[in-house]
Amino acid sequence: MTKQFLVFSLLAMAIGAGLLASAQDRQAAKPSASTAAAPSASPAAGRATVHDDAAERIEGEKRFKANCGRCHMAPEKFPPRMMATILRHMRVRATLTDEDTQLILHYMTQ
Amino acid sequence: MAAPHDCSFGCTRYWCGKPAFPDGRRALPLQRTIVALIFLLTLASSLRAQSEDTDVQRPVPIFSAGMGFITPFQGGQPNLDPLISPIFLIPIGDRWLIESRDTFESDFATPPGSDTFHGVIQKEVDYLQVDYIANPYVTVTVGRYLTPFGIFNERLYPIWIRDLQSDPLILPIATGPSNASTGAMFRGGFAISPKVNLNYAAYYSTLIAVSPVDSDRSAGGRVGIFLPDQRLEVGGSFQHLLQDERSNSFGFHFAWQPPPIPLDIRAEYARSSRGSGYWIESAYRLSQIATAQDYLRNVQLVARMQQFFVGALPSEVLPTANTQEFEFGLNYYFRDNLRAVSSYGRQFSSLGNVNVWTVGITYRIVTPIGHAGAD
Ligand code: HEC
Repeated sequence: MTKQFLVFSLLAMAIGAGLLASAQDRQAAKPSASTAAAPSASPAAGRATVHDDAAERIEGEKRFKANCGRCHMAPEKFPPRMMATILRHMRVRATLTDEDTQLILHYMTQ
Repeated sequence: MAAPHDCSFGCTRYWCGKPAFPDGRRALPLQRTIVALIFLLTLASSLRAQSEDTDVQRPVPIFSAGMGFITPFQGGQPNLDPLISPIFLIPIGDRWLIESRDTFESDFATPPGSDTFHGVIQKEVDYLQVDYIANPYVTVTVGRYLTPFGIFNERLYPIWIRDLQSDPLILPIATGPSNASTGAMFRGGFAISPKVNLNYAAYYSTLIAVSPVDSDRSAGGRVGIFLPDQRLEVGGSFQHLLQDERSNSFGFHFAWQPPPIPLDIRAEYARSSRGSGYWIESAYRLSQIATAQDYLRNVQLVARMQQFFVGALPSEVLPTANTQEFEFGLNYYFRDNLRAVSSYGRQFSSLGNVNVWTVGITYRIVTPIGHAGAD
């Protein structure tokens, strides 16, 4: 009984978090970073989509600096296909956001 | 099938058909877990064919390893502690990752009356998990995974990451002796406003009593708020044990890297019926000192203070007396993945006060299994 209750509460928590987040997403009306890797030129200005490569790289560098030295020394660059695996690993392990992952991958493979 | 043996309901041998608990519940047989894992691995590899092959950034499988050789001197007597943790990362398609880490370690010591070092090699399956990135908010993990309680176990544990080589005294609270859980977990991180990220993990774990893949039956979760501009994270963890005394554990964590200063401040508090305590650590890189820049910027100074208070119930893995410990470390980074480490610590408890010195070297390699793409 307790076990079923816990499993259901965990599921409910995960679904709840997903719903909450997608509501937030729709409110901000921005395309999903997993398809577009849309960066925010100025986070305060409501995450406008910028297709400018240089701006994307600057944002990627900023996010690299904010995230990749938090737990261990920030690593050097690896070849692109290795970087893609490492970032997928770090996305799961370090619970990085989808957008952070895409932008850092872009920055680290330039 | 193994021979019949003498046991009552408390038997946790996976091949024994008798219930593990008085109310008739059974421990999950290891076979079923392995079959489930194989099924998931097969499913995952069948999806590989469906993934796009055109992308130059298609992830490549990776072999990585953290390794180190630490010499702790406890009470003036040196031990030799070599350790290697191989990691395999197998990405499949756009959304899957199979990851595993094992640890092989030993603690060679000179027994009284002998002048040669003796020790056995211990093996631990730290994790063996399949991750599925379902959407930008939820990643589903199935298998054996590091218990997401506090920050040390999941984020700072590897030998090449930790600033001081000894484990925090409160580490076994909610993570047990194996640091891992077996079951399913939902986790993720997303922006809840332009300046605030939320991260969470929620899990259910089953009982496995077979070494080296043992885990407790429990459920729990962790939530953190991260402010990227301030590089500040605060969060809390909770776990409910679904066996033995069915107790609750909870904890809080804090991590801050004040942006203009090369300083890491981290702290954790944890409480359970078997004990409670906290640690607070600061680590400072001397990169802002003007003199001897070439050398000093690679030097890291570390200080940690911790306290542990025994709980109402006994524990096999936590200290048996109230304990207080101070440690100071001096690390030198040759590169981001290679460093020389050293520390001095003093532990105070009613069982006696001891000095602990460590010196050693830690290293991490990452290498592709296949073509890594253009450099
Ligand atoms: C929340 C903590 C945390 C953050 C943030 C983090 N890492 Fe890691 N990283 C780890 C841990 C822990 C490991 C060791 C993995 C293991 O032993 O299972 C690791 C391992 C690695 C490795 C070794 C190869 C591997 O995948 O195991 C590389 C390279 C790496 N991280 C790069 C990065 C980059 C790049 C970023 C920024 C996007 C990053 N890390 C952010 C915790 C973190």
